[in-house]
Amino acid sequence: MASDRAVIETAGLWKCYDDVEALRGLDLQVPSGSIFGFLGKNGAGKTTTIKVLLGMSRPTRGEAHVFGHSSAESHSSVEIRRRSAFVSDEKDLYDYMTVGEIVAFTRSFYPRWRGDLEQQYLRKFDLQLSRNIKGLSRGTRTKLAMLLALCRGAELLLLDEPTSGLDPAMAEDMLQALVAHVGREGSTVFFSSHQLSEVEQIADHVAIIDQGQAIVAGALDDLRSQYQRIHLVFENDAPEIKVRAAGTHRVRRQGRVVTILSSSRGDAVIEELRGYKPATFEVSPVTLKDIFLESVRTEA
Amino acid sequence: MLWQKAWRETRWRFMSALLVLTMMAGSNVFDYLATQRLLPHLTATTETPVAEASGLAGMIREAIELQKDFRGFIWYQAFRQNLTQMGVFFAVLLGCGGLLHESSKGSALFTLSLPVTRKQLLGARAGTGLAQLFAIAMVPPLAIPLLAPSIGQHFTIVDALAHGLCLFFVGAVFFSLASFLSTMFTDIWRPMLIAIGIACALAVVSFAVPPLNIFSVMNGESYFKTGSLPWAGFLTSAVIATALLYSAAETMERRDF
Repeated sequence: MASDRAVIETAGLWKCYDDVEALRGLDLQVPSGSIFGFLGKNGAGKTTTIKVLLGMSRPTRGEAHVFGHSSAESHSSVEIRRRSAFVSDEKDLYDYMTVGEIVAFTRSFYPRWRGDLEQQYLRKFDLQLSRNIKGLSRGTRTKLAMLLALCRGAELLLLDEPTSGLDPAMAEDMLQALVAHVGREGSTVFFSSHQLSEVEQIADHVAIIDQGQAIVAGALDDLRSQYQRIHLVFENDAPEIKVRAAGTHRVRRQGRVVTILSSSRGDAVIEELRGYKPATFEVSPVTLKDIFLESVRTEA
Repeated sequence: MLWQKAWRETRWRFMSALLVLTMMAGSNVFDYLATQRLLPHLTATTETPVAEASGLAGMIREAIELQKDFRGFIWYQAFRQNLTQMGVFFAVLLGCGGLLHESSKGSALFTLSLPVTRKQLLGARAGTGLAQLFAIAMVPPLAIPLLAPSIGQHFTIVDALAHGLCLFFVGAVFFSLASFLSTMFTDIWRPMLIAIGIACALAVVSFAVPPLNIFSVMNGESYFKTGSLPWAGFLTSAVIATALLYSAAETMERRDF
C-alpha cells in the first residue's frame, strides 16, 4: 500500500487568527501508507494544521493539499473528508444520541462503511448500542470516536491527540488497535501528540512543529541515525562556540560544558569542534525525546 | 441524516411551541363565552359611538366591537395578540443555535469532519426549522375550527389556513433573523435577545409608521377585514427571509472553527 506519493502536502502554510500567527510557513509532506507522528508543544500549531487540512479553517496564505485536493476550497474539502476520518482532541460527540444512533448517523455518510469492523470494534471496545453518549466516560467516548473513525473505510486517519485523557492501559489498547487496523487496511495515519513515547512506539515518520513551523521532519529511523549529541567539557569556562558547518541544531553552554545537537552525520561538525580543544569530547546517539526537547527548547 | 440531526436538536423546542400555541388557540375558543357574558357590563365605554372615540378610548371601543362575534373575537384575541406574539418568540427560538453553537459544546468538529458542505448543514437545519415553523403556524389555527362547535360556534378551516399562512410567512422572517444572528454568536441567548429586541423595536415603529407594520401581515388583518391575503406582505417576507438565510450561509462559509 505504501508509496512515495504524499497524501498530505503543505507549502508555506500560514494561518493567522487576529494578531496570533498559529502557522508560519509550514512545509509538510506525509507519505502514503505512513504512520506520521506530528509533535509539538501545546499551542505549537498541531490542531490548527489538522483543521486547515480538513477545511475547517481557511489558510491565511500558502497551500494545503490532501489527496491532491486543495483543502481551502469548499467542494474539494468535501472530497478530502469523504476519504478521511478525524478524531478530535476532545472527542465530543452528540450528547443527545445513543451509541447506536451515532453509529447509524455516521454510517449514512460513508458508502464504504465497514460493517464487519463496526461489529468487531463494538465487541473489542465493549460499547453498548443503547448507551447514551452523554453518560459515557471520557475513555469510552474516545473508544466510540475511534470506532466511528476506523469504520469509515478511510484512506487517511487524522487523529488529534488520540490518547489524551486516557489511562496508560487504555492508551496502550487504543494504540494497539490503531496499529493493527493500519497494518490490515493500509491507511495513512497522521496523528498529533505530545506523548513522545507513543509516537516513538508506532510512528515511522515524524515532524516536529514549533511556533507554526516544521523544524524537524523525516523518517524516524533516519532521524535517529542522523542526529547526535556532542558534549564538550572544558577545563575552564567554555568559550563561545560558533559552528559554521551545516547541520548544527542547537548549542547550549553552561559553565564548563557545551552541548551540541547535530543533525549531520558528517565529520565536519566534529572536526570543527575539536578545534576548540575541549578537555573531553563525547558523541552520543539521541532519542526522539532528545530531538524534540532540543528542537523546541526555548533559550533561557 | 442531516435532517434527522437537525430534528433531534430542535424537537423539544418544536414540541413545546406546538403545545403552547395550540393550547393558547384552544383556550381562546373557550374564553369566548365568558367574554360575551362580560361585554354587556361595559356600557360606559360602549356609550361613545365608534366614530367619535379616539386614542386609547377608540382602541378599547374598537376591541369591544370586534369581539362581539366569534370570528372577530378569535381574530382579536388569538391572531392579533397571542399567536402573533408567541409565534414571533417561538420562530426566534427555532432559529437559534446551529453549527456555531455546537462549537461551544465541542461537537462541531465532529460535524465538520463529515463529507458535507457547510451550506448543506445550514440548509438542513433551516429546512427542518421552516417545516417546524410551518407546523406551529398551521396546527394551532386549525384547532379553532375543531373546537368551535363545542361552544356552539363556527370558524372555517379556510380562515384558519389563511391565518396560518400569515403567521408562517412573517414567522419565517424572525426565524431567519435568528438563524443569521446564530452565525455570529456561540450561545443561543444573544441571538434570541437581539432578535426579540428587533421584533419589539418593529412593533414600536409600526405604531409610528403603519405601512411598516409587519405584524399586521402576521395577524392577517387584511384577510380578516377584506378577505384578501396580504400577497405583497408574503412576498416581502419571503425575500427578507431568503436574504437573511443566504447571509447566514455566506457568514458560515467564511468562518474558521
